[in-house]
Amino acid sequence: MSLLFDNRQSGAEELRRSARAQLLVFIIGNIRQMIASLGGMWRTPAASFMTIAVLGLSLTLPATLHVLVKNVQKVSASFDSASEITLFLNQGVSETKIQSMVARLNLYPEVDSIEYISPQQAMAEFKSLSGFGQALNYLDSNPLPGVILVRPTESHKSPTAAQALLKKLQDEREVALGKLDIEWLQRLNAIIRLLQESVYTLAVLLLSSVILIIGNTIRLSIMNKREEIEVMKLVGATEGFIQRPFLYTGIWYGFFGGFLAFLVLEAMLWWLGGAITRVAESYNNTFILQGLTFGEFGYLMLIAISLGFIGSLLSVRRYVSQIEPEML
Amino acid sequence: MIHFKDVSKTYPGGVIALEKVSFHLKKGEMAFLTGHSGAGKSTLLKLISIMERPSAGQVLINNHDLTRIKKSQIPYVRRDIGMIFQNHLLLRDYTVFDNVAFALIIEGYTRKEIGKRVDVALDKVGLLHKARCRPDMLSGGEQQRVGIARAVVNKPPILLADEPTGNLDPELSKEILGVFEEFNKMGVSVLIATHDLGLIARMRYRTLSLSHGKMISDSLSSSMGGGL
Repeated sequence: MSLLFDNRQSGAEELRRSARAQLLVFIIGNIRQMIASLGGMWRTPAASFMTIAVLGLSLTLPATLHVLVKNVQKVSASFDSASEITLFLNQGVSETKIQSMVARLNLYPEVDSIEYISPQQAMAEFKSLSGFGQALNYLDSNPLPGVILVRPTESHKSPTAAQALLKKLQDEREVALGKLDIEWLQRLNAIIRLLQESVYTLAVLLLSSVILIIGNTIRLSIMNKREEIEVMKLVGATEGFIQRPFLYTGIWYGFFGGFLAFLVLEAMLWWLGGAITRVAESYNNTFILQGLTFGEFGYLMLIAISLGFIGSLLSVRRYVSQIEPEML
Repeated sequence: MIHFKDVSKTYPGGVIALEKVSFHLKKGEMAFLTGHSGAGKSTLLKLISIMERPSAGQVLINNHDLTRIKKSQIPYVRRDIGMIFQNHLLLRDYTVFDNVAFALIIEGYTRKEIGKRVDVALDKVGLLHKARCRPDMLSGGEQQRVGIARAVVNKPPILLADEPTGNLDPELSKEILGVFEEFNKMGVSVLIATHDLGLIARMRYRTLSLSHGKMISDSLSSSMGGGL
């Protein structure tokens, strides 16, 4: 509505539209500007493609690292079980007591199988493996303890369940020390976490660069359209109306950049898939490289589009308001 | 309609562009604004379209004080003022039709409505047959008429023109002025800044003369012999 002339209606109100019809006009106007922005990009295909390619590749790297971490996690999850608990027995426990204990342990519901290694067996093994050979004969007594190897059942192989079983076994009178072979697993998990953290750091850096690239591209297109912006301001276009096409351009860049990143990533996985299958086969293992799920693809697009929007918003806020019409 | 009350404008650096200028242009009135170059004609027009703000005094349009208009409201004020420029400020990459349509697109008219109104405006300036041309393909006078069509397409109550005949020969200038007179007859207030005194002398219109930022005369040109 006109600010200065009470009886002069202007624009959409002149046609006496209802609020709903006005909203509709607004939405149609937005869609028109959105499509027009796409058309603007189409008119400069080389420049648009280069920008999209830079964005796509910048987004591909974090996405690839994410997939990598995800797959390593999957692999480590398949290792994520304790295969054995080693129990070192007290010195001087009689053989009969040990046998009864082995029989007792076999009845535990958590235990799958038990192997007893007597001090003599251990000594013989040590002799043959260590190379000390005859030197060990000079020992007065056998310093090696008896050892029981306990394999938990499938359901008690998880780190926490195995830990609980270890505690229970350590409470047995004959046991001096118990050891669970999951420490290397904890180390692996720590390394994966470190990898994950570095992926996030790298992702933040690359995503910031995406914002800057889009911001700069939009800044250049604002400068190129300086004349048009001046004329629009002269005929009474609002800041929002002038800004919107640039914002939509940023959103389109994000959209296409994100989609390009998805395509590059899928191509890369397809390429690597064959090689990985061959490696897995040599280990008699079937490992399938996992790509992006539909949800992750959605996130990728959402992030890319948001970055495009933020980048263009930064430029538009700063540069469009700077352009003021000059009357010569 | 346009009311200046002791308006002064000093640019940064101390250049005084206007000094205590007062006048009142009534509704439906047509007037010329003359003066040597640098006298403050453009500044005066800029104050009306809020491209500049006065350093002192008040500018009122239809009794609304423009100093109270916020920056975000400026676009809506400009929609009430049709502006025409010496260098017409047409966009080279767009057709004549699109150039004129600009003024309507920003107001959210429907495509059908835009087509109808642009055709009417182009018809009034006699360029309907050139709607699909680009500005480069038109003569200077035709380009100026496209500028006029763009200024009047949304039927503003005020029309401002800054040296609209600056680049045109006398014959074309007369033609352009004829277009302005036609709009004036329909009730539009028209203010035309020009240094083309010969043009003014032939017409009986009120003339405001500026010299070094001061209003030195305000009269009918015929009785004052040009006012300068």
